[in-house]
Amino acid sequence: MAEFSWASRSPLEHALVVGAYGARDVEPGISLTEIRNFELIQVMARRGKGAELARTAKARFGMAAPNVPKAVSASDVTLIWSGPDQFLVLSKGGKHAIDILSEAFSQSASLSDQSHARVLISVSGAKARAMLAKLSSIDLHPAAFPTGTAAATSIDHTSVNLWRGYDRPDGQAVFNLLVFATFAESLWHTMLDAAAEHGAEIGYSEELG
Amino acid sequence: MRIVCPFCGERELGEFTYLGDAKPVRPAAGASEDDVFDYVYLRDNIAGETTEHWYHGGGCRAWLKITRNTLTHEISSVEPAAGAGAAKVGA
Ligand SMILES: [Zn+2]
Repeated sequence: MAEFSWASRSPLEHALVVGAYGARDVEPGISLTEIRNFELIQVMARRGKGAELARTAKARFGMAAPNVPKAVSASDVTLIWSGPDQFLVLSKGGKHAIDILSEAFSQSASLSDQSHARVLISVSGAKARAMLAKLSSIDLHPAAFPTGTAAATSIDHTSVNLWRGYDRPDGQAVFNLLVFATFAESLWHTMLDAAAEHGAEIGYSEELG
Repeated sequence: MRIVCPFCGERELGEFTYLGDAKPVRPAAGASEDDVFDYVYLRDNIAGETTEHWYHGGGCRAWLKITRNTLTHEISSVEPAAGAGAAKVGA
Protein backbone atom coordinates (compact mmCIF):
# COMPACT_ATOMS: atom_id res chain seq x y z
CA MET A 1 0.00 0.00 0.00
CA ALA A 2 1.26 3.46 -0.85
CA GLU A 3 2.46 5.51 2.07
CA PHE A 4 0.85 8.88 2.42
CA SER A 5 0.10 11.40 5.11
CA TRP A 6 -2.40 14.21 5.43
CA ALA A 7 -0.89 17.66 5.28
CA SER A 8 -3.28 20.14 6.85
CA ARG A 9 -3.56 23.32 4.78
CA SER A 10 -5.60 26.45 5.28
CA PRO A 11 -8.57 27.00 2.95
CA LEU A 12 -7.29 30.61 2.80
CA GLU A 13 -3.83 29.50 1.68
CA HIS A 14 -4.20 31.21 -1.70
CA ALA A 15 -6.46 34.11 -0.80
CA LEU A 16 -4.55 35.33 2.23
CA VAL A 17 -1.60 37.55 1.35
CA VAL A 18 0.35 38.69 4.40
CA GLY A 19 0.99 42.43 4.60
CA ALA A 20 -0.84 45.66 3.98
CA TYR A 21 -4.07 45.84 2.00
CA GLY A 22 -6.14 48.77 0.78
CA ALA A 23 -5.59 52.41 1.66
CA ARG A 24 -1.88 53.12 2.19
CA ASP A 25 -1.99 56.77 3.22
CA VAL A 26 -3.53 56.00 6.62
CA GLU A 27 -2.66 54.01 9.74
CA PRO A 28 -4.18 50.56 9.12
CA GLY A 29 -7.62 50.68 10.78
CA ILE A 30 -8.19 46.94 10.68
CA SER A 31 -6.28 43.78 11.50
CA LEU A 32 -7.51 40.69 9.70
CA THR A 33 -5.91 37.57 11.10
CA GLU A 34 -6.62 33.97 10.26
CA ILE A 35 -6.11 31.64 13.23
CA ARG A 36 -4.78 28.27 12.08
CA ASN A 37 -4.46 24.80 13.61
CA PHE A 38 -7.20 24.66 16.23
CA GLU A 39 -9.54 21.95 17.43
CA LEU A 40 -13.23 22.66 17.10
CA ILE A 41 -15.95 20.26 18.24
CA GLN A 42 -19.68 20.76 17.79
CA VAL A 43 -21.61 19.43 20.81
CA MET A 44 -25.39 18.98 20.56
CA ALA A 45 -27.60 17.62 23.33
CA ARG A 46 -29.53 14.48 22.53
CA ARG A 47 -33.28 14.70 22.90
CA GLY A 48 -34.21 15.19 26.53
CA LYS A 49 -30.56 15.29 27.64
CA GLY A 50 -30.05 19.06 27.88
CA ALA A 51 -29.76 19.08 31.67
CA GLU A 52 -27.37 16.14 31.68
CA LEU A 53 -25.21 17.79 29.01
CA ALA A 54 -25.07 20.98 31.10
CA ARG A 55 -23.88 18.99 34.14
CA THR A 56 -21.29 17.04 32.16
CA ALA A 57 -19.97 20.18 30.46
CA LYS A 58 -19.52 21.95 33.77
CA ALA A 59 -17.60 19.00 35.21
CA ARG A 60 -15.47 18.70 32.08
CA PHE A 61 -14.59 22.36 31.47
CA GLY A 62 -14.89 23.78 34.99
CA MET A 63 -17.45 26.33 33.81
CA ALA A 64 -21.03 26.22 32.57
CA ALA A 65 -21.52 25.95 28.81
CA PRO A 66 -23.44 28.98 27.54
CA ASN A 67 -27.20 28.44 27.11
CA VAL A 68 -27.72 31.92 25.64
CA PRO A 69 -25.73 33.60 22.83
CA LYS A 70 -22.43 33.99 24.68
CA ALA A 71 -18.89 32.69 24.54
CA VAL A 72 -17.05 31.76 27.73
CA SER A 73 -13.34 31.08 28.10
CA ALA A 74 -11.03 29.26 30.46
CA SER A 75 -7.26 29.13 30.06
CA ASP A 76 -7.34 26.20 27.63
CA VAL A 77 -10.77 26.32 25.98
CA THR A 78 -13.55 28.59 24.67
CA LEU A 79 -17.18 27.44 24.60
CA ILE A 80 -19.28 29.23 22.01
CA TRP A 81 -23.09 29.07 21.95
CA SER A 82 -24.28 27.98 18.51
CA GLY A 83 -28.01 27.35 19.04
CA PRO A 84 -30.43 25.88 21.56
CA ASP A 85 -28.79 23.00 23.47
CA GLN A 86 -25.61 23.14 21.43
CA PHE A 87 -22.22 24.79 21.59
CA LEU A 88 -18.78 24.71 20.00
CA VAL A 89 -15.62 23.74 21.85
CA LEU A 90 -12.61 25.67 20.57
CA SER A 91 -9.18 24.66 21.83
CA LYS A 92 -5.64 23.78 20.90
CA GLY A 93 -3.15 21.06 21.75
CA GLY A 94 -5.38 17.98 21.88
CA LYS A 95 -6.76 18.23 25.41
CA HIS A 96 -10.31 18.71 24.11
CA ALA A 97 -10.02 16.72 20.89
CA ILE A 98 -12.90 14.66 19.54
CA ASP A 99 -11.83 11.26 20.90
CA ILE A 100 -11.52 12.60 24.43
CA LEU A 101 -14.75 14.62 24.39
CA SER A 102 -16.68 11.76 22.75
CA GLU A 103 -16.06 9.68 25.83
CA ALA A 104 -16.99 12.45 28.25
CA PHE A 105 -20.25 13.24 26.47
CA SER A 106 -21.19 9.76 25.29
CA GLN A 107 -24.37 9.70 27.41
CA SER A 108 -25.71 13.17 26.72
CA ALA A 109 -24.66 14.62 23.37
CA SER A 110 -23.81 14.03 19.75
CA LEU A 111 -20.41 15.38 18.71
CA SER A 112 -18.96 16.31 15.37
CA ASP A 113 -15.36 17.29 14.67
CA GLN A 114 -15.29 20.63 12.84
CA SER A 115 -11.54 21.30 13.26
CA HIS A 116 -10.84 21.22 9.53
CA ALA A 117 -14.34 22.24 8.45
CA ARG A 118 -14.21 25.85 9.58
CA VAL A 119 -11.94 28.81 9.18
CA LEU A 120 -11.39 31.13 12.12
CA ILE A 121 -10.90 34.82 11.33
CA SER A 122 -10.16 37.47 13.90
CA VAL A 123 -11.07 41.09 13.12
CA SER A 124 -9.84 43.96 15.25
CA GLY A 125 -8.64 47.55 15.07
CA ALA A 126 -10.09 51.02 15.35
CA LYS A 127 -12.22 50.56 12.21
CA ALA A 128 -13.22 46.92 12.79
CA ARG A 129 -16.76 47.80 13.82
CA ALA A 130 -17.19 50.24 10.91
CA MET A 131 -16.11 47.51 8.51
CA LEU A 132 -18.31 44.80 10.04
CA ALA A 133 -21.27 47.19 9.98
CA LYS A 134 -21.18 46.97 6.19
CA LEU A 135 -21.49 43.19 6.34
CA SER A 136 -23.67 42.39 9.34
CA SER A 137 -27.00 43.73 10.55
CA ILE A 138 -26.12 42.93 14.17
CA ASP A 139 -25.44 45.87 16.46
CA LEU A 140 -21.81 45.47 17.52
CA HIS A 141 -21.66 48.61 19.68
CA PRO A 142 -20.00 47.77 23.02
CA ALA A 143 -23.26 48.53 24.83
CA ALA A 144 -25.12 45.93 22.75
CA PHE A 145 -22.33 43.45 22.05
CA PRO A 146 -19.91 43.43 25.00
CA THR A 147 -16.98 41.02 25.42
CA GLY A 148 -18.29 37.46 25.53
CA THR A 149 -21.35 38.08 23.35
CA ALA A 150 -21.91 35.53 20.58
CA ALA A 151 -24.24 35.28 17.61
CA ALA A 152 -25.14 32.65 15.05
CA THR A 153 -25.84 34.83 12.07
CA SER A 154 -25.21 35.38 8.36
CA ILE A 155 -22.72 37.62 6.63
CA ASP A 156 -23.03 38.00 2.88
CA HIS A 157 -25.53 35.08 2.88
CA THR A 158 -22.94 32.90 4.57
CA SER A 159 -23.57 31.33 7.98
CA VAL A 160 -21.06 32.39 10.60
CA ASN A 161 -20.53 32.08 14.33
CA LEU A 162 -19.47 35.48 15.54
CA TRP A 163 -18.30 36.37 19.03
CA ARG A 164 -16.43 39.14 20.76
CA GLY A 165 -13.27 37.88 22.44
CA TYR A 166 -11.03 39.59 24.94
CA ASP A 167 -9.84 43.05 23.89
CA ARG A 168 -6.37 43.49 22.43
CA PRO A 169 -3.66 44.82 24.77
CA ASP A 170 -4.23 48.26 23.21
CA GLY A 171 -7.91 48.12 24.23
CA GLN A 172 -9.35 47.47 20.76
CA ALA A 173 -12.27 45.07 20.52
CA VAL A 174 -11.68 41.69 18.87
CA PHE A 175 -14.39 40.01 16.81
CA ASN A 176 -13.92 36.31 16.01
CA LEU A 177 -15.68 34.65 13.16
CA LEU A 178 -16.04 30.97 12.28
CA VAL A 179 -17.09 30.24 8.71
CA PHE A 180 -17.49 27.01 6.74
CA ALA A 181 -14.18 26.17 5.03
CA THR A 182 -15.61 26.13 1.52
CA PHE A 183 -17.20 29.58 2.02
CA ALA A 184 -14.13 31.09 3.65
CA GLU A 185 -12.42 32.36 0.51
CA SER A 186 -15.58 34.08 -0.71
CA LEU A 187 -16.17 35.71 2.67
CA TRP A 188 -12.50 36.67 2.90
CA HIS A 189 -12.73 38.64 -0.36
CA THR A 190 -15.92 40.32 0.82
CA MET A 191 -14.15 41.29 4.04
CA LEU A 192 -11.14 42.62 2.13
CA ASP A 193 -13.45 44.81 0.03
CA ALA A 194 -15.11 46.14 3.17
CA ALA A 195 -11.75 46.78 4.85
CA ALA A 196 -9.94 48.39 1.90
CA GLU A 197 -10.97 52.00 2.55
CA HIS A 198 -9.68 51.80 6.13
CA GLY A 199 -6.39 50.10 5.31
CA ALA A 200 -5.86 46.58 6.64
CA GLU A 201 -3.02 44.60 8.10
CA ILE A 202 -3.32 40.98 6.93
CA GLY A 203 -1.76 38.04 8.69
CA TYR A 204 -2.18 34.63 10.20
CA SER A 205 -1.38 33.18 13.56
CA GLU A 206 -1.26 29.87 15.38
CA GLU A 207 -2.35 31.46 18.66
CA LEU A 208 -5.93 31.39 19.91
CA GLY A 209 -6.76 34.85 21.28
CA MET B 1 -39.57 42.84 8.35
CA ARG B 2 -37.73 41.56 11.41
CA ILE B 3 -38.34 38.47 13.49
CA VAL B 4 -37.41 38.13 17.15
CA CYS B 5 -35.98 34.63 17.38
CA PRO B 6 -36.58 33.26 20.89
CA PHE B 7 -32.99 31.98 20.89
CA CYS B 8 -31.05 34.69 19.00
CA GLY B 9 -33.00 37.91 19.43
CA GLU B 10 -34.13 40.33 16.73
CA ARG B 11 -32.90 39.46 13.23
CA GLU B 12 -33.55 40.56 9.68
CA LEU B 13 -35.93 38.59 7.47
CA GLY B 14 -33.09 37.39 5.22
CA GLU B 15 -31.89 34.97 7.92
CA PHE B 16 -35.25 33.14 7.90
CA THR B 17 -37.04 30.82 5.50
CA TYR B 18 -40.81 30.44 5.34
CA LEU B 19 -42.14 26.89 5.40
CA GLY B 20 -45.90 27.38 5.53
CA ASP B 21 -49.07 27.01 7.54
CA ALA B 22 -48.45 25.56 11.01
CA LYS B 23 -52.05 24.47 11.49
CA PRO B 24 -52.39 21.23 9.47
CA VAL B 25 -51.89 18.15 11.62
CA ARG B 26 -50.87 14.88 10.03
CA PRO B 27 -53.88 12.54 10.01
CA ALA B 28 -53.66 9.24 11.84
CA ALA B 29 -52.73 6.14 9.87
CA GLY B 30 -55.90 4.80 8.28
CA ALA B 31 -57.47 8.25 7.90
CA SER B 32 -59.81 8.74 4.94
CA GLU B 33 -58.49 9.81 1.53
CA ASP B 34 -60.34 13.12 1.90
CA ASP B 35 -58.58 13.85 5.20
CA VAL B 36 -55.16 13.08 3.71
CA PHE B 37 -55.91 15.14 0.59
CA ASP B 38 -56.95 18.02 2.83
CA TYR B 39 -53.76 17.72 4.90
CA VAL B 40 -51.43 17.56 1.91
CA TYR B 41 -53.02 20.03 -0.52
CA LEU B 42 -55.67 22.28 0.94
CA ARG B 43 -54.71 25.48 2.70
CA ASP B 44 -56.85 28.25 4.13
CA ASN B 45 -56.11 31.67 2.69
CA ILE B 46 -56.63 33.69 5.81
CA ALA B 47 -57.00 37.48 5.90
CA GLY B 48 -55.89 38.05 9.47
CA GLU B 49 -53.97 36.08 12.07
CA THR B 50 -52.28 32.85 10.98
CA THR B 51 -49.70 30.53 12.49
CA GLU B 52 -46.72 29.65 10.33
CA HIS B 53 -43.51 27.66 10.52
CA TRP B 54 -40.29 29.56 9.82
CA TYR B 55 -36.70 28.31 9.88
CA HIS B 56 -33.85 30.39 11.29
CA GLY B 57 -31.39 28.84 8.82
CA GLY B 58 -29.13 31.90 8.72
CA GLY B 59 -28.82 31.83 12.50
CA CYS B 60 -29.40 29.17 15.16
CA ARG B 61 -31.11 26.74 12.74
CA ALA B 62 -34.14 26.33 14.98
CA TRP B 63 -37.67 25.88 13.65
CA LEU B 64 -40.07 28.51 14.90
CA LYS B 65 -43.84 28.84 15.13
CA ILE B 66 -44.87 32.37 14.33
CA THR B 67 -48.25 34.07 14.67
CA ARG B 68 -48.53 36.69 11.93
CA ASN B 69 -51.33 38.93 10.69
CA THR B 70 -51.46 38.63 6.89
CA LEU B 71 -53.14 42.03 6.58
CA THR B 72 -50.59 44.04 8.57
CA HIS B 73 -47.59 41.65 8.72
CA GLU B 74 -47.62 42.24 12.45
CA ILE B 75 -46.00 39.34 14.29
CA SER B 76 -47.65 38.81 17.64
CA SER B 77 -45.74 35.76 18.84
CA VAL B 78 -42.66 33.69 18.04
CA GLU B 79 -42.05 30.43 19.82
CA PRO B 80 -39.86 27.37 19.28
CA ALA B 81 -41.59 24.78 17.11
CA ALA B 82 -42.10 21.37 18.66
CA GLY B 83 -38.70 19.68 19.02
CA ALA B 84 -36.60 22.83 18.64
CA GLY B 85 -33.99 22.57 21.35
CA ALA B 86 -33.51 19.07 22.65
CA ALA B 87 -33.76 20.18 26.27
CA LYS B 88 -37.21 21.61 25.76
CA VAL B 89 -38.60 18.17 25.05
CA GLY B 90 -38.73 15.65 27.85
CA ALA B 91 -36.26 17.37 30.15
ZN1 LIG C 1 -32.35 31.87 16.01
